[in-house]
Amino acid sequence: MIFLAFRYLFERRRQTILTLLGIFLGTAAYVSISGFMLGFRGYLIDQLINNDAHVHIGAREEFLTDHSLDDPFYQNVFAHVFWDPAPSGRKDSDMVENPQQWYKRLDADPRVEAYSPQLTASVIFSNGKAISSSTLIGCDPRAQVKVTTLGDYVIEGQFTDLAVGGNRIVIGNELQKKLGLRVSQNVMVSLAEGPPTPFKIVGIFKTGNKLSDNVAYGALADVQKVNRTPNHVNKIAVRLHDHTQAAALAAAWAKISPERVESWDQVNSSIFDVFRIQDAVRFMSVGAVMIVAGFGIYNVLNMTVMHKRKDIAILRSMGYDTGDIIRLFFSQGLILGVAGTILGLTFSYFFCLYLQTIPFGGGPLGGGMGHLIVSFDPKIYIQSAILGLLSSTIASILPASSAGKLTPIEIIRAGAE
Amino acid sequence: MGITARHVGKMIGEPPTRILSDINLEINNGEFLALTGRSGSGKSTLLYLLSTLDRVSQGEVQIDGQNVGKMEPEMIHRFRNANMGFIFQFHYLLAELNTLENVLMPARKSGRQVEREHYARSLLKQFDLGDKMHRLPRQLSGGEQQRVAIARALVMEPQYLFADEPTGSLDSVNGENVMNIIRDANERLNVTVIMVTHESDFARLAKRQVHLVDGKIQ
Ligand SMILES: Nc1ncnc2c1ncn2[C@@H]1O[C@H](COP(=O)(O)OP(=O)(O)OP(=O)(O)O)[C@@H](O)[C@H]1O
Ligand SMILES: [Mg+2]
Repeated sequence: MIFLAFRYLFERRRQTILTLLGIFLGTAAYVSISGFMLGFRGYLIDQLINNDAHVHIGAREEFLTDHSLDDPFYQNVFAHVFWDPAPSGRKDSDMVENPQQWYKRLDADPRVEAYSPQLTASVIFSNGKAISSSTLIGCDPRAQVKVTTLGDYVIEGQFTDLAVGGNRIVIGNELQKKLGLRVSQNVMVSLAEGPPTPFKIVGIFKTGNKLSDNVAYGALADVQKVNRTPNHVNKIAVRLHDHTQAAALAAAWAKISPERVESWDQVNSSIFDVFRIQDAVRFMSVGAVMIVAGFGIYNVLNMTVMHKRKDIAILRSMGYDTGDIIRLFFSQGLILGVAGTILGLTFSYFFCLYLQTIPFGGGPLGGGMGHLIVSFDPKIYIQSAILGLLSSTIASILPASSAGKLTPIEIIRAGAE
Repeated sequence: MGITARHVGKMIGEPPTRILSDINLEINNGEFLALTGRSGSGKSTLLYLLSTLDRVSQGEVQIDGQNVGKMEPEMIHRFRNANMGFIFQFHYLLAELNTLENVLMPARKSGRQVEREHYARSLLKQFDLGDKMHRLPRQLSGGEQQRVAIARALVMEPQYLFADEPTGSLDSVNGENVMNIIRDANERLNVTVIMVTHESDFARLAKRQVHLVDGKIQ
């Protein structure tokens, strides 16, 4: 019956091409939009994974509830305590309790590639009259460059120079400009009250992000001293060999410790929310095109069935059965779907190849080569093909089965009237 | 061997109206039977009952000893394909296929188009269509179209040929031409022909006439 289906389609060339176009546009749009979106997304996630730690172990944060203070005040004296007003607020420890235990645990874990304990201090940087209150992050310099890619963004000096010790800092490009300093000059660092401590600038980094370029890094011990909190650590940044284990590992660690443990995807959950919205929009818009294309096939097939009633009657009288007739019309829809999908996928593949060559300098949209990043993930093509084939299949079911239900005698009687 | 109708009745429509009642008929292989009667007397209805295209309301139709009502659909389809040819008032050719392809459509169903092609060509030559095998139906005259339809009905060398006013849409010359072909098939190929017609001249060509009046044989 495929033979006859092809003949029917060739006879109605214009209709065939128009319906093909619907499926073609749907599949091509899906591949192009997805390629572009997922390409950028992959780049973004790559950046997230590469640039930052995979698991963040931070000081716990605890919010007081109405009965949080019952125990400390009254132990078991009363069954119920009424507070007026009820206690509220936040109980901070602001530090990771017992970091030594964490170091042991992390050292022993084969999944951990590197970790860097950190202390974030709010300090005031000053250079003569230039004053800027900002953040000084103490870290293990050698581990830090393994945990994050910060080392790659150092434009002057070396990040690991911090390891030598003795009050050295690597300073962000923005902060450096604000203070008007150069490498090997000193900057004064102080807390809100108390005497300033001189730090020597051994490097400058520039990530392109104004916020993260407005901080400075020092060795953990130095920052602890300046902050007058010896041995305090308020964050441990962990890098894993396999970033996909982050969520599971974070969940497991969170269970056995009081600290707040978050994986990189939890930290960036808002970005993933945006991705989900993007996906919804992508599916809905392509879905709309597919529905229109499906209706196109549905209409054309229905019309063909109406026009070809006599053909159905004569075929049935020759011994063709219901299944043959269903196949005759169903295959027309399927041929349209398959051809439209193949054309759509081919076209959009080349379109994506072309998109890739469009220069898109610098910025977050641009790749390392300075052009658009497009994903060629086979999944996109498979999904698109499924969409195209599914919509044409669904659109063909009804007309084909209605053609199959026609009996020759009905048609002949109706034709005689 | 042949077709037998026993007490066949047929109702159509909603509410059911009786169209045929108590038809008893025995048609032997090799016969040439003409169904005649006034318009609306039920000729076509009877023809489609005898040819398995329609189902009886009462009684039974037997073909080659088998009760059509009890045959599996698959069997009926195979039987139609191998043993039955149909000619209608209108040719019902497939507009997208050329003459030869149209004639070979029944053979295609059972995957025998190669085997049947030689016979199809010889039929077409016999019907004076030898030079028009690759034309589309719309490039043929009405008489030529009907001859293609007859070739299609005969291509499987069927035992039975059912014709519903095969000359109804043709002029007298073409009509005669078609009738000669049908008679020829009956005489030379021993095809059992059951033909509906209301032209008495053509009915007289048949060896036997069955006259219907208001759904009954007279
Ligand atoms: N679908 C239907 N519903 C009700 N009655 C019908 C239907 N189809 C046909 N009839 C009636 O059945 C009767 C027989 O119809 P049939 O087609 O067999 O007549 P016919 O002898 O072939 O007539 P003609 O010479 O005009 O072709 C007619 O009276 C017709 O009105
Ligand atoms: Mg009739």
